[in-house]
Amino acid sequence: MKKSVMQSAFLRSKLFWAIVAQLLILLVGFILRPDFLSIQLRTLSDGTTVLYGTPIDILNRASEITIIAMGMTLVIALGGTDISVGALVAVSGAIALKFLRWDVLVYNTPGDYTVQPFILVLLLPLLACTLMGLFNGMLIGKLKLQPIIATLILMVGGRGIAQIVTNGKQFTTQYSPFKFIGNGSILGIPLPIIITLLVILLVSLFVRRTSYGMFVESVGINPSASRVSGLRSDTIIIIAYVLTGFLSGISGLIYSSRISSNDSNNAGLGYEMDAILAVVIGGTSMTGGKFSLFGTVIGSLIIRTITTLVLYFGIVSEAIMAFKALIIAVVIVLQSEPVRNAIAKRRDRKRLLMGGEARV
Amino acid sequence: MSDLRLAGQGKGRRLRALLTNPQYLMVYATIGIFLMIYLFGALLYGNKGFTSVRTFMLFFSDNAYIGISAVGMTLVLITGGIDLSVAAVASLTGMIIAFGTSVLGLHPLVCIGIALVVGVGLGALMGACIQYLNVPPFITTLTGMFFARGVTSLISRESISIKHEMIDALAGFKIYLMWPNAQGEWVKIKPVASIDLNTIAFVVMIIIGAIILQKTRFGRNVYAIGGNEQSANLMGLPVARTKVLVYSFNGLCSVLAGISYALYVKSGWNLSLNGSELDVISACVIGGVMLSGGVGYMFGTLFGVLLKATIPAIITFNGSMNSWWAKIFTSALLLLFIIIQRAVIASSQRTKKKAGQG
Repeated sequence: MKKSVMQSAFLRSKLFWAIVAQLLILLVGFILRPDFLSIQLRTLSDGTTVLYGTPIDILNRASEITIIAMGMTLVIALGGTDISVGALVAVSGAIALKFLRWDVLVYNTPGDYTVQPFILVLLLPLLACTLMGLFNGMLIGKLKLQPIIATLILMVGGRGIAQIVTNGKQFTTQYSPFKFIGNGSILGIPLPIIITLLVILLVSLFVRRTSYGMFVESVGINPSASRVSGLRSDTIIIIAYVLTGFLSGISGLIYSSRISSNDSNNAGLGYEMDAILAVVIGGTSMTGGKFSLFGTVIGSLIIRTITTLVLYFGIVSEAIMAFKALIIAVVIVLQSEPVRNAIAKRRDRKRLLMGGEARV
Repeated sequence: MSDLRLAGQGKGRRLRALLTNPQYLMVYATIGIFLMIYLFGALLYGNKGFTSVRTFMLFFSDNAYIGISAVGMTLVLITGGIDLSVAAVASLTGMIIAFGTSVLGLHPLVCIGIALVVGVGLGALMGACIQYLNVPPFITTLTGMFFARGVTSLISRESISIKHEMIDALAGFKIYLMWPNAQGEWVKIKPVASIDLNTIAFVVMIIIGAIILQKTRFGRNVYAIGGNEQSANLMGLPVARTKVLVYSFNGLCSVLAGISYALYVKSGWNLSLNGSELDVISACVIGGVMLSGGVGYMFGTLFGVLLKATIPAIITFNGSMNSWWAKIFTSALLLLFIIIQRAVIASSQRTKKKAGQG
């Protein structure tokens, strides 16, 4: 009877409902348009072959949010939130474009060049975002400030910083290695997907192969008990925010590479909300504790699939939010404690009536 | 203990107790820093008209929609919740009024009625979701925000201007500030300053909010829930009803803020007020409301809104600084305030510990 116990537990888990939701949304897409799930190889004009199709597009476009959401999962598991990530995406892009174009008066046409070494173009935005993550982490870990308010500072100030970096200007670039980050592909797979897979792999390894993941859950479930048992909760908190900052930097590079430009006002706009939603839909509780990186990936894909599906049917892009809200509301209501318990209880009752064993 | 000591003593003592009460420290800090920044602006740009009554009145009328929304937000934050949907609901209200009057030809009052039903209904629904389904307020209201924004975009993606004589009359309503001149006649002061409907609505809402919080049973329940929800429940307070009511009231405030904004810009646009929910929240925080719940005063929120209004005003008066500096200064101010809050909590905890030992 152990199987039924496990079944019941799985039915109670939020992750189960997230996977069901994702499959249902894909099914709706497939019914409405049979080519929704098709993947094909396509040869581009420059001779390279790339994978092409809606599923690939969903994976590709979900990368920015998925990458940030990996860090956000740890932050939320610690009982916090980071609403500065969208602004950090803007900072990252602004710094990258600043180093690519440097002085627009001298280099006044965007072309296939970089003014500063390419390695700086990649490393400095990441460094800046990591430092801003450290700032968030210090405020929350050391000064014990409330995460929402502590990260609100950089959410408001970050876009200001991004504008100062580029003096309020929007630069464009045609530098091909930079454009490759967001638009290129290796062996037919778009590079953002590869970067995302790498990030997922590395974060999972870091969390599950070291004791860090366990520490995060411990601090998230009971901060004071963890402190009493000798965990350095402030260091654990700082690491999570630093990681989120760094990952926002990567996401910012992908975003600005996709549009070959920086956009201090709109880059990463609303990413914090999408990333938090991805984590919550994936089954990690906002109150902290146990987390699931795999669940977060599913959550991120759900959000992107809804967007793609709605776009696919020609509904105006701004109105996507209404559909997103409705579907997310359904997922959240299904996942909420009272509803999940009610469903599991009903199954138990059925099993009892049929002479089976109830859930232990 | 301190209340007992206060009873039967002179008014002077009571005033001193009021001034040294650590509960009000955050509000004093807000007022103090507001005065400092105002003085700073006055010293630098006094000759350009920074200190004029007109500029001061503009702080109110230009930020009325933030202030009205902040009244509801203060209640929500005191219960320990948060509401991210306020700006989207306000934007939706503006769109309903604009679309209703200009496209459908409805009377503005009908549109306002529809907006009130939608806004308060959404607020109540979110409150119920938070209370009965245990969904975190952040996620619930975020979904509410997406929904309201999306519906606004579904109505129209273009900015629709509001043309209706009633709206024009309301937006044009002004009470000019007068003073007697040398001949003893009442004339308009110069530069011309006036009180418009938005300013009145802002001040009235702050007063209503303060009365609700300080003088009613409902207000005391709000503080009790924010202090400790479990204790409030065990004491038999109507926690569920209060929380749903708080979110509904906030929905009402969002709609009123939307009407105020519609009067201010006379149009509805699906992207208007984008991100303003954080302006509202940060105004409350600067005004001394704590996000952990249980602490906050309407009077503090009033000064939080004014303080946030002063910074862009100084930057506008400077003329040579770019608008993004306002963002940087506002975020620095936020940092300062939450550090002060932290220090106040730490010191009050120390006093409590000492009192416990003694």
